[in-house]
Amino acid sequence: MVELKNVSFRYGNEETQVDNENCLRDVSLSVKTGEFVLLTGPSGCGKTTILRLINGLIPQFYPGEVIGDILIDGEETKDKELYDTALKVGTVFQNPRTQFYNVDTTGELAFGCENRGLSEKEIYTRIDKTVAHFHMEKLMDRSIFHLSDGEKQKIACASVDVSDPDIILLDEPSANLDYDATLLLREMIVQWKAAGKTIIAAEHRIAYLWDIIDRAVIMRDGRIVRELVGSEKDGLTPDELYSMGLRTTMTESPSDIQKDTFRKEDTPITLKKFRFSYRGKKQPIVNIPLLQLAEGEITAIVGANGAGKTSLLNCLCGLEKHCKGKLQYKGKNYGRKARRKLCFMVMQDTGNQLFTESVLDEVLISLPKNTVHEKEKALELLQSLDLSDYTDRHPQSLSGGQKQRLAIACALASGRKILLLDEPTSGLDYAHMQETSALLQKLRDMGTTILVVTHDSELIHACCGRSISL
Amino acid sequence: MAYSSEKTQEKRRGFLDPRTKLALVLVLALFVMGGLGGDMLKPVKTGLSALPFLLLLIERQWKRFARGIVMLAVGYGLLFIMPYLPGALNYIALLCGGILTRFVVTIVMGEYLISTTSVSEFISAMERLHMPQAITIPMSVMFRLFPTIGAEWKSIRRAMGMRGIYLSGTKAGQVLEYQMVPMITSSVRIGEELSASALTRGLGAPVKRTNICRIGCRVQDGLLLFLCLAVIAIWILELCGVTLW
Repeated sequence: MVELKNVSFRYGNEETQVDNENCLRDVSLSVKTGEFVLLTGPSGCGKTTILRLINGLIPQFYPGEVIGDILIDGEETKDKELYDTALKVGTVFQNPRTQFYNVDTTGELAFGCENRGLSEKEIYTRIDKTVAHFHMEKLMDRSIFHLSDGEKQKIACASVDVSDPDIILLDEPSANLDYDATLLLREMIVQWKAAGKTIIAAEHRIAYLWDIIDRAVIMRDGRIVRELVGSEKDGLTPDELYSMGLRTTMTESPSDIQKDTFRKEDTPITLKKFRFSYRGKKQPIVNIPLLQLAEGEITAIVGANGAGKTSLLNCLCGLEKHCKGKLQYKGKNYGRKARRKLCFMVMQDTGNQLFTESVLDEVLISLPKNTVHEKEKALELLQSLDLSDYTDRHPQSLSGGQKQRLAIACALASGRKILLLDEPTSGLDYAHMQETSALLQKLRDMGTTILVVTHDSELIHACCGRSISL
Repeated sequence: MAYSSEKTQEKRRGFLDPRTKLALVLVLALFVMGGLGGDMLKPVKTGLSALPFLLLLIERQWKRFARGIVMLAVGYGLLFIMPYLPGALNYIALLCGGILTRFVVTIVMGEYLISTTSVSEFISAMERLHMPQAITIPMSVMFRLFPTIGAEWKSIRRAMGMRGIYLSGTKAGQVLEYQMVPMITSSVRIGEELSASALTRGLGAPVKRTNICRIGCRVQDGLLLFLCLAVIAIWILELCGVTLW
């Protein structure tokens, strides 16, 4: 049983006041043993903060001011050491790339138990049980670095399972997963539920969980605004959902959405002989002999994790030396190097493509050399992307959505005609997804051709006119 | 058949214990590379030099074996033709030959150590040598962090290429600065997320950690460790003025 009694929290101490985002205001929540509760609400509503209070990361790892009581089975967790809380609570995190301690999968499964000092025999027995239970023989004894994000998340769940805690916390576990991987995740959660675990999940993508949860707790600005159970939960209309800032509760595979790849009346952009394989792999990850895309449209690229969607974007941008494909745009052929000046990719980790110390500088270095009135031009661009309030801010201090817009501003400044986006809405709430969709439509109307790699069915419905399945 | 982690761990077990490998690297570095013991120990050293190659063959590391042999052959070849070469070339050949014949064996041994030891094996060995957690935990985190940060670095370099910023001409300093900005931000974030995850899984608990990876001394370890000790004993005897042969 997990109880939060009148809990308020803010990150940082009085001198290093961070901001009011993600704080909690007088939250009371009680989760019964064996119950499955979903925490949801717009970004920054405080759902992740609640999970961190339960697993003890707040205040042991993320310092801040906690008021109120957090009780697990009647015991206060605030003052407990993390390794003591770890005996009862297991957590699956959002980012599959940064939650592993070991470099091999078997070692990773054993990690939690090794830390507790369980006997080797006991650990072996537990691993074998989990492996059989979740059917993951093929994932064992592999290097973590050679797994897809979906497989990594499966290992993360399995390693929690081997430790066998009573309470399992899931912090946006599906943010980086494709549709099929999400269904696998769902399967694992169903098994936990059947085993009587107490489960608390924080999620934006609520569709894959909606029918298996016992209760949905909806938050906004650090408060619980509504709790839904039973028929109330099932009878929610889309309008009610959107007014609370929630995503859809309907599961739909992105590849089931019927859209044309190319219509007769479209102006074609032609890809020829795009073929690429990773070093040492015989099977090509990208293999497109001929493909026509519609110029001036928004095209969704869908497919499972590992189908080569991101690799295709890399090839299109001219980042893969061994891809010899040609792209025909407005009657002109573009080779690898020429494509570097034609295409721009907004990467998944947008922070990795922003290099300077201010938003304005970022745009300035993208403008072609010898531009007249470059500052005015840059400011004008920032204005059109709603970034004019942030011109002096450090790009790394912006929010995810702002970073995305800044990267797009750079693309426009450097005069690129084709914009590629890699999962622009992963981990975004409904309002932010709508914002991204509106922005893409605006760019399309300005004449930019847009390709979006995504597994967000709602985004495809909202703005994509064409679709390719890889 | 059902998966058995115990059996696969046993199957994946290395031919030698990491501690034996470390001891061998140390002895080779001292005697073959460092030249301890002088000419008196020459026959012993020749025997020692064959060891890393033998081990590579046992572990089926054909490529590394071939590379080592070729390097060694080049070294001895240079020393062999050295007297017939004129002036400066003679000197260069002597230098290169000398360096190759001295260093290659130890480098091959080091390569063997790194390529055949997994991180968990290494940490497990460290724990059995009674290294304190304060040393083994940061070391294991480093092993984990390097490849991740390497991947991050690659992604940043790509992003620069795509944005059309290249390391060229006068702006090299600035380009380096550009790379550092996202690098530092993402390294801090990755470090933080890795630590948070490890802590919620009980890392640092004041109990004796167990480790499922299989290490431990077997016959071959005993033999090789005995050999290392023997070499040191011969050397000490030699120092004391005992003539063995």
